[in-house]
Amino acid sequence: MNRTNKYDFLGYIAFAVIILLGVPFLLGFDGFELNTFARYLALAMVAMALALSWGTAGLLNLGQAATFGIGSYVMAMHLKLAASTNNPGGMPDFMGWTNVESLPWFWQPFHSLTVTLLAGLLLPAAVAGLMAAFMFRGRITGVFVAIITLAFMVALQLVFIEEQRFTGGQNGLTGLAPLSLPGWTVDTYSLSFYYLVAGCLIVALLLGMLVVRSKVGLVLRAIREDASRVRYFGYDVASYETFVFCLSAAIAGWAGMLYTLVLEFASPTYMSVSFSLAIVIWCAVGGRESLVWAAVGAILVNLAEGRLSDVFVEGWLLILGLVFILFVIFLPRGLYGLALAMVDRLRGAPRTDATLPVKEG
Amino acid sequence: MRRRSFMKGLGATGGLAMTSGLAAPALLSGAGRAYAQGGELNVGLLFSLTGAVAVVERTLHDAALMAIEEINAAGGVAGMQLKTFIEDPASDPATYADRARRLVIRDNCVSVFGSYTSASRQAVLPVVEQRNNLYWYPTLYEGRECSRNVMYGGAVPNQQQQDFVPWLTENFGKRFFLIGNNYVYPREENNVCKMLLAGLGGEAVHEEYVPLGHSDFSSVINRIRTEQPDVVFCTLVGDSDVAFARQYHAAGFDPEKMPCASLTRSEVEVQAIGGEAAVGHFSSAPYFMGYQSPENEKFVQAYLSRYGADQVTHFVSEAAYFQVYQFKAAVEKLDPANITPAAIRDAAVGLTTMAPQGEVLIDANLHTHLWPKIARWKSDGQAEILVQSEARVAPDPYWAYEGETCTGEGLVRG
Repeated sequence: MNRTNKYDFLGYIAFAVIILLGVPFLLGFDGFELNTFARYLALAMVAMALALSWGTAGLLNLGQAATFGIGSYVMAMHLKLAASTNNPGGMPDFMGWTNVESLPWFWQPFHSLTVTLLAGLLLPAAVAGLMAAFMFRGRITGVFVAIITLAFMVALQLVFIEEQRFTGGQNGLTGLAPLSLPGWTVDTYSLSFYYLVAGCLIVALLLGMLVVRSKVGLVLRAIREDASRVRYFGYDVASYETFVFCLSAAIAGWAGMLYTLVLEFASPTYMSVSFSLAIVIWCAVGGRESLVWAAVGAILVNLAEGRLSDVFVEGWLLILGLVFILFVIFLPRGLYGLALAMVDRLRGAPRTDATLPVKEG
Repeated sequence: MRRRSFMKGLGATGGLAMTSGLAAPALLSGAGRAYAQGGELNVGLLFSLTGAVAVVERTLHDAALMAIEEINAAGGVAGMQLKTFIEDPASDPATYADRARRLVIRDNCVSVFGSYTSASRQAVLPVVEQRNNLYWYPTLYEGRECSRNVMYGGAVPNQQQQDFVPWLTENFGKRFFLIGNNYVYPREENNVCKMLLAGLGGEAVHEEYVPLGHSDFSSVINRIRTEQPDVVFCTLVGDSDVAFARQYHAAGFDPEKMPCASLTRSEVEVQAIGGEAAVGHFSSAPYFMGYQSPENEKFVQAYLSRYGADQVTHFVSEAAYFQVYQFKAAVEKLDPANITPAAIRDAAVGLTTMAPQGEVLIDANLHTHLWPKIARWKSDGQAEILVQSEARVAPDPYWAYEGETCTGEGLVRG
């Protein structure tokens, strides 16, 4: 176990303890605060998913919100159907208004919870897999990956807005039923719901860390540094890239499902450019090289946003923007880089430069 | 409020540390608080002050805030001052949902005033319905909603169209060209318009939807040129409407022969369009800034002197204003010990209020009886009111849907 991995592992344990024990206690087990924090945790999960592909393999997915959005709509479709059982034909209300005759075939399977949960993971992964096959077989790298993923997301969002008959259009899917798991109707203001979201995040982080620490992770980091060399060693670079891209998409879809549960609606704004860029910012603030720190970045930025908007109703967006600029200038490796530098200084070990940028993807 | 001052200190030291940020909320938890406390009643304002729709929503925020401060200056509601909690949802539905939770759950607001777009209203609905709170929504909208937790202050399709469409067919002709942004409001208004046209022997020669924010209408204008309709029926909103009106004018169409008839164009849009391009076209709404009534004179004067002579009042800001007075009247009917959102709602039904547009009444279905007006825009950016309905028009949010009625018990089928 090398030094970085050891700290990552310790950081992971500390993070899990804080999220599972510290936070609920500090929040006083208050339903509203737990619900708000559960939202941050869902966002932390999508940030961590981005760090997995961006920080590890150098694949900057500017369309991460697309897979997040797909997961979110999948869950919303299930809950919308559950809320529509008394409607004519069991159809969601907005379909009746837009003169849809009967429930479309691609809505049918989402009556089933199992199908929904699987689809929430597999559908984003499949979509990402298609994109990956196209991009990575064609040896597209760097900024072009960012442009293609961004363009794809914009197109996907447009489809969701335009196909109002099937997607609810600009309003998204609203008027959802609460999720019914066997023996448990989810109350989104309860401690158990908080633990559901927190548990998902911690499991996803563990999964991601296992990948990063495995030989696959090593190859991925090598690809980040120099894809050609890895290729000359005989590794199939495209397959590794596709794998991490799909895994990242599946986790993002998972996070999207949780997000729908927290906010009780799905909206096309979940796949907007501004939201997708926000994910990149969270990663950058936390530190994209570490999954845990990317998650911490998302939580801190959203906490800060929440608190700032409470105090400065008029100027909170400006202040937040300024903070991001300062981060990019002075801490390009994010809080993770800062933490590494501090640990080094404490131990008197050779200095790690917190401001030294890692190689761009 | 305790936490705000605490957080101000924290913000000053730049402390965004997780633990300190988190420790504060625990101080404030506590359920089952009474709404009327210490001679104060908490209300929330949830209008975007930043982002895409801030231009319009800020005027709603301003109008509602003005009403609250007028009420407080005049002694408050039943002796209680209104304590205002202001949030900025930044034109983003997810932020609306988050801030609505704050106002309803954390800040213990007895009512929240907010929203312009349907998407943001729907983002707030789960919160107010679950907590049985009350959301005062001032905007005209597409109808087909029957929540028991929303007070709808704006017009629904029947109130904007039932006089307007027949009037247009009489004065200009029966061939309509329908143009709108692609979301639920324009589509629904056009459904109603087509239904009315069918009854009048008219037709919709073409129906077109462009994405929100779309601003290049050259192909639409070409299409209008070839179709030569009698009326261009317009449900574009915001920037799209401004761009369309300008390009329509630049294309040289004569409003005397082929006017735009809009359900969404208010003084705000006309100000952006410019009087030269806006002149001669029509809008239908319950309120225009130029409407002559003592209440409106007072409203406009107070608004302009407070926010600047270059500002305008319009049919949504008027509702944002009078809804606060409706709220006040409803609360005053209640025993101060039993003020709850549900009690306010029940007390509000049947209330009449002198609004700038005329005396408005809250229906059992929580929508508002309004005074529809048809107006022609003048070059100074004001509207000349041509037709005014003779009676207050009742709201029927399911007008186009046979067998569905919104009643005091919610939606009834059959």
